[in-house]
Amino acid sequence: MRLDYVHDIQKSFRKVLDSMSRPGLINNISKESEKVDLEINFFNSTLVLMFMLLDSDISFKIISEKEEDITSFINKLTYAKSKNTEKADFIFVLRDAKPIDLVNGIKNAKSGDLINPHKAATIIVEVEEISNNKTLSLTGPGIERVNYAHIEAENSWILARSEKNEEYPLGIDMIFIDKESNILCLPRTTALSTKVVK
Amino acid sequence: MKISYNFAFFDEGSKREIRRAALKAVAIPGYQVPFASREMPIARGWGTGGLQLTLSLIGKDDVIKVIDQGSDESVNAVNIKKLIKKTTGVEQTEKTSKASIIQSRHRIPEVPLNEEQILVLQVPIPEPLRLVEPSEYKTKRLHAENDYSGAWLMLFEQIMKYGSMSTGADHPVLVYGRYVMAPSPIPRFDNPKLTCSKALILLGAGREKKIYAVPPYTEVVSLAFDDYPFRVESFENKKCRICGATEVFMDEIIDEKTGMASYQCNDTSYCLKKLNNSADNQGGDISERI
Repeated sequence: MRLDYVHDIQKSFRKVLDSMSRPGLINNISKESEKVDLEINFFNSTLVLMFMLLDSDISFKIISEKEEDITSFINKLTYAKSKNTEKADFIFVLRDAKPIDLVNGIKNAKSGDLINPHKAATIIVEVEEISNNKTLSLTGPGIERVNYAHIEAENSWILARSEKNEEYPLGIDMIFIDKESNILCLPRTTALSTKVVK
Repeated sequence: MKISYNFAFFDEGSKREIRRAALKAVAIPGYQVPFASREMPIARGWGTGGLQLTLSLIGKDDVIKVIDQGSDESVNAVNIKKLIKKTTGVEQTEKTSKASIIQSRHRIPEVPLNEEQILVLQVPIPEPLRLVEPSEYKTKRLHAENDYSGAWLMLFEQIMKYGSMSTGADHPVLVYGRYVMAPSPIPRFDNPKLTCSKALILLGAGREKKIYAVPPYTEVVSLAFDDYPFRVESFENKKCRICGATEVFMDEIIDEKTGMASYQCNDTSYCLKKLNNSADNQGGDISERI
């Protein structure tokens, strides 16, 4: 069965919106991503997000060992323009990227300005596994008291993110996707702590 | 000529743009994200912002409720519902607890919302500083500089003139300690429902081309002074003439012949539910109560 560009994308969007509204809440889009029938060398769920978010109005950057091929493929598929990390609206850090690439992606991404903080980049990161194990504690809007998350990736991005988001409302918003099509969002308002609050 | 529209009226490109704006709005609570407001089959200023949000959110499994100033059956609500129904075929309801998306003009329902629901509010003027600063160029800079003296001065002048803050509706609020936001013309009575709401609240202004949001569990404080605290409308010692409810937002109805005032619930579905429950228990008849 093929991915339905109207209904499957709508269902996926609602789950992403739910996760963005409630940082730490993990939603799964495997029902939708399983329907992707294109041969790609990154997660199907990442492609679903690309269909959901990209079009000719905005720009993107792929960070991957196969950057050139994937960039050309996505450009043809969505008509979105490829730009460098400093200017891209959406930055996709794929599974084969090195931890330092993610850190550099966060450091160099645009964080908007005080007049237009919405012009900041959204970084979508493919990781091995996402869970609610108590590795990170999350606080901020969308969280009643504290939420927990475990993101299976080298921790260096955490410091880079907190430095980038130091001057709210400037900052970057992040969406993590794992190989099981789980989605977890960290908007710029979410404070991360590696010390778990009990 | 019969035109078959795309699901939820919009083309997918339009939905995509509104969805991107909604995600950014959630990430920056209270900040007005500009978007390319589409021409709609209803006039701008009649709920097109809320409608555009609803149409980009809605899916086949949703249950929609649309209310206009508390009423499920007024013209604005009925027409918006008809358009949504015709272009999506989704189930409609009047029960607040049954709806997954609630589009509302100027009220937050009396029944507490839950985590599975999204409240979409229609906004005529999204800019809380518009009364003191007509230029959008300038108000964007005032927000950037966290300069809300205009909003405070407006409230201060009301106290000087009338002895209290006289905002009937749309009393400005501070969201997550950063952005002053117009909560849409909901009565002051509904302002406390914004803070730490269980449901996501999205606000759309079609004419002014802005989308903004209050994520769940976000601190929302109504602007007030230490010596002039924020107060909601008081309905003390008043009860609904139909269902007998107290401590809800009520409409005042003046009898033209006698000049006597009576009160009834503004939220018609809440009133009906309460009435049905009591009618089931007592075998009562609505005509006996009015």
